[in-house]
Amino acid sequence: MTKTILDVEELGVTFRTETGEVPAVRGVSLTVAPGETLALVGESGSGKSTVALAAMGLLSGNARITGRVAIDGTDIVGSTTGKSGAAGKAGAAGSSGAAGKAGAVELSRLRGRTASMVFQEPATALDPLTRVGAQIVEVIRNHRPVSKAAARQEAVELLRRVGIPDPARRAAAYPFQLSGGQRQRVVIAMAIANDPSLLIADEPTTALDVTVQAEILDLLRELAADAGTGVLLVTHNMGVVADFADRVAVMLSGEIVETGPVEQVLLRPRHEYTQRLLAAVPRLAVAEPGESAAQASTTVSARPSAGVTPAAEGSAGEPVVRLRDVSVVFGRGGRAVRALDQVSIEVRAGETVGLVGESGSGKSTAARVALGLIAPSAGAVSLFGADLRRTRGRSRRRLRAGIGVVLQDPVASLDARMSVAECVAEPLRVHRSMSARQRRSRVEEVLDRVRLPRALADRAPRELSGGQRQRVSLARALVLDPRLLVADEPTSALDVSVQQAVLEVIAELQADLGFACLFVSHDLAVVQRFAARVVVLRAGRIEEQGRTDATLLHPETDYTRRLLAAVPVPDPAVQRRRRAARQAVAGAGA
Amino acid sequence: MATLWYLVRRVAQAVLVIFLVTIVVFALLHALPGGPARGILGAQATAQQIATFNHEQGLDKPVVAQYFYYLRTLLHGDLGTSYTLNEPVSTLIVQRLPKTLVLTVLSAILGLLLAIPLGMWQAVRRNKPFDYAITTLSFVAYATPVYFFGLILVLVFSQALRWFPSQAPQGDTLGQVLANPAGLVLPVVAGAASMVAVFSRYMRSATLENLAEDYVRTAKAGGARQRAILWRHVFRNSLTPVIAMLGYYVPVLFGGALVVEQLFNYPGMGLLFWSAAQSSDYPVLLGCVLVISVATVIGTLLADIVQRVIDPRVVAGKS
Amino acid sequence: MTAIAEQLPVAEGVTGLRLVVRRFLRNKLAVIGLAVVVAFVLFCFVGPHLYHTDQTHTALDAVNQPPSARHPLGTDAVGHDELGRLMYGGGVSLLVGLAAGALATIIGMLWGAVAGYAGGWVDAAMMRVVDAGIAIPALFVLLVISAIVSPGIWGMVAILGLVSWLVPSRLIRAETLTLKNRDYVLTLRAIGGTHTRAISRHILPNSVSTIVVAATFQIADAIMLVAYVSYLGLGVRSPQTDWGGMLSAGLTAVYSGRWWLILPPGLAVILVVCAFNAIGDGLRDAFDVRGRS
Repeated sequence: MTKTILDVEELGVTFRTETGEVPAVRGVSLTVAPGETLALVGESGSGKSTVALAAMGLLSGNARITGRVAIDGTDIVGSTTGKSGAAGKAGAAGSSGAAGKAGAVELSRLRGRTASMVFQEPATALDPLTRVGAQIVEVIRNHRPVSKAAARQEAVELLRRVGIPDPARRAAAYPFQLSGGQRQRVVIAMAIANDPSLLIADEPTTALDVTVQAEILDLLRELAADAGTGVLLVTHNMGVVADFADRVAVMLSGEIVETGPVEQVLLRPRHEYTQRLLAAVPRLAVAEPGESAAQASTTVSARPSAGVTPAAEGSAGEPVVRLRDVSVVFGRGGRAVRALDQVSIEVRAGETVGLVGESGSGKSTAARVALGLIAPSAGAVSLFGADLRRTRGRSRRRLRAGIGVVLQDPVASLDARMSVAECVAEPLRVHRSMSARQRRSRVEEVLDRVRLPRALADRAPRELSGGQRQRVSLARALVLDPRLLVADEPTSALDVSVQQAVLEVIAELQADLGFACLFVSHDLAVVQRFAARVVVLRAGRIEEQGRTDATLLHPETDYTRRLLAAVPVPDPAVQRRRRAARQAVAGAGA
Repeated sequence: MATLWYLVRRVAQAVLVIFLVTIVVFALLHALPGGPARGILGAQATAQQIATFNHEQGLDKPVVAQYFYYLRTLLHGDLGTSYTLNEPVSTLIVQRLPKTLVLTVLSAILGLLLAIPLGMWQAVRRNKPFDYAITTLSFVAYATPVYFFGLILVLVFSQALRWFPSQAPQGDTLGQVLANPAGLVLPVVAGAASMVAVFSRYMRSATLENLAEDYVRTAKAGGARQRAILWRHVFRNSLTPVIAMLGYYVPVLFGGALVVEQLFNYPGMGLLFWSAAQSSDYPVLLGCVLVISVATVIGTLLADIVQRVIDPRVVAGKS
Repeated sequence: MTAIAEQLPVAEGVTGLRLVVRRFLRNKLAVIGLAVVVAFVLFCFVGPHLYHTDQTHTALDAVNQPPSARHPLGTDAVGHDELGRLMYGGGVSLLVGLAAGALATIIGMLWGAVAGYAGGWVDAAMMRVVDAGIAIPALFVLLVISAIVSPGIWGMVAILGLVSWLVPSRLIRAETLTLKNRDYVLTLRAIGGTHTRAISRHILPNSVSTIVVAATFQIADAIMLVAYVSYLGLGVRSPQTDWGGMLSAGLTAVYSGRWWLILPPGLAVILVVCAFNAIGDGLRDAFDVRGRS
């Protein structure tokens, strides 16, 4: 057998919580060899991040760990790392571990040198009050006796290697002065500062935009290949797996259910769960050179009611909502930010318009303007044919009875102090005078429609899963039979299997009820399957818009092309070709 | 540039607040029994004197005009005349304010020097006997009225042990007061006690919060030892909210000085104020309120600027 | 932390309030605090009905007596039974503290909620007023007003309330700012719900925890403040008294060894204020809200 850099045997992790012992990981065994990337995939709660943290000895104090984890032959698990973060005296701690296990001192010698870690959230991963250069210097000097000046020199070099422009100046920046992508590059620079043999990346690109994600993955791949580093990649994104991994381990409720080479697991999954998971992943239909356009568009219309419903065909009927030359400026004077710039969008009855763009593109702002929550600085909004500027008070409120809203966060969308039934009934209380009994029966009706059991009506939102909560939001949005549904990233906080179910419910109901839908999403694959027309926003301006099948297969602007090219697809062979094509374009452009 | 902009906005805010304070004091002046005239001339003033006064001060004019007249006298440094001490209030205050500032600053420094390491150490030893002991002590210290604590200090260290005098050093100038440091010990300690209680609690929770932050995990993953993480990262990050809190605490500090000065007979503004309250010497009372408020605004401003120096993210107007 | 967040099971069947009570009861200090408050309330309000003393007339034949069977805590300089006085003064302290704490919280709640919800220049103007109020040290204003109006018990409550609503108003404004941008409030407004509904159905009910916690700390502070004002000789007037007044009266006596005049009221203030703070701490942790530490 070849030498392994990470060796996990029969790892078990249990958390002590307020409500008792919660098992998180059971009997997990895996290995990572030098130069290879193992992807650990699973949905939320599968325990994949726990495995990664356990491997670094970074689990919090309430974790109980069994089994064995060894990095480069040194045992990690069973040492004193299980103690709370504040385990005081480093010297004394070393003796308490069982023989052969790493103590706190030994462990800190290993971390950042033999094994490094890249975290999910670049916004919080760096000390906000220490300049980024100094944070890299610290990691260098934790392990190597180099002078401060030499370490500073190295830090600048590292920043250059991870692709930060003007690294000498950037080294003096505070984290808050850098973008999310740049911050993640700094975290990566810290991780590779001492040429580790093992890199553990916990959802390294989840918080980033898709184009930035592609760049970061390219960077990680390149760095790992150069140094022959073994990589443990924790992710929920099958596209990222296809892009990056050599082997895959699939986790389900704390256990590994399937392991194998990436082609085998992604293309010929054996375990029923893996099959189900892969089936639920929305796939971006792409017009590859060599693949016929006809073939691609059959994939697009795979969803029953995708494409265009009859009502929306042509320009028949008034738009349900129309933004005309809308600009939104936040702040004043020198600090003013133009969130939207001359944006015009129309949504007609029965039609779904997808609003896509990266963070800061203004897509959520546009949705909020349509909802009347943000007043445009210039331009006009008409809702159901009435100009929102000219309606006030009661008539404006009556107009709004025709709107349904579903927002992103399943936790914040429902008032925790109300029962499910009260949440759903709230629009009825605002707009209809009904008896309690009538209200109740209407609530039960819509719960049926969104396929939630009526028994949930008297539960608190807290007791529901994320997917169930989003369906409660949907029920609330539908209770007044709206003519317009505004959905702002309604599924982006959900696992793919749950996402699919929620999207199906929306599509079915739209086919039944014929409401117009303004669908905001960062996920091009979802929009492609779901929306008839798409509007691509970039930095507050409309980059292009048109029928989804045309625009997302044969985009007219470079930006949209780049955006599409950056989306990783969950097929390793296809993704390799796409990556090569993207890098060729980027190389030619540079 | 951003720093300059921050300073300008923050100072403008402080000026606005001081302006509002003058309105409050002006309102208090008008709430005096018998109106400002009786309040300023004293209870013995004759009707004739009051009429002359009212005319001189423009008190027969509309309230707004009166306010601007009042503001103008303030800008000239005129705070009226004490009718028990027969001296201009401004002179009295100029004499005593430095002494009060010395007392409060010394108490604050002592308090912070004790509280910050205590709070941090508590966080590190969370839920251990040390943490519980300090928590209990800080609860008690917070709940003990300053005068009660001061009294116990006097009984123990002055009456029983005879280490320090029970009276603060006397004297008109700051030099005379500072010439006798032994006499300052008990007042400074008494003033620092509740500060230690409040700020050790605050530092403890700030440290705990920071220990749970992602960047601590990043530092750990980079191979930093616990002690290095604590001093290089957690300490500074925990200090910023504590400094911000210091700004809010300035008025409490002055309130404490009032009691301490009364108890130890320390010749500062608090004692002046207290004596004036006993004799209903309104010009002194209102003058002190105004000056102490301005001092508070300036103290808060300084705390904010220090915070901004430590934390470059701070933006003006956020509270 | 995601690893743990992922793992937290849904606490089925446990309502929010039950969870809060359970967490509170697990906090030993808080439970002791609650017991102390209950004990003092009984002592001060039920006690006088069981242990009768004359707290209005002086008894010059029985001044400055040390503790004895007849006067368990001795008598003061005008012959009042000190134990009875402790009950009587405690009643005033607790009443003023509770009422003033409640009043301050209510004023602060309304001010903070309106400022936070309105936002913009209304918010800025209202908060500058709060800044100005905070800039004037409370004890100084209290003394000036007390010197001007010589308040009785309810006057004291009013003044304390008017002086100490500023801190809770800041807390509640911050809470309102967060709540008004919660998705469920945005959703309600998007579909045409009124501001009244947003405030009464969502914002206020969800700030209850913050308000309750603020009120508890406010009561502790009010009891302290009233003790300070009385100590400085400008509190409720004789023959009425409170613990601070008793301390003030007993101060000189302590040098002549009459500890019973100062130790009981001093310890009573410390105990009660500690107790309210411990309750506030426990409530804050149980509700899991941020407040003062």
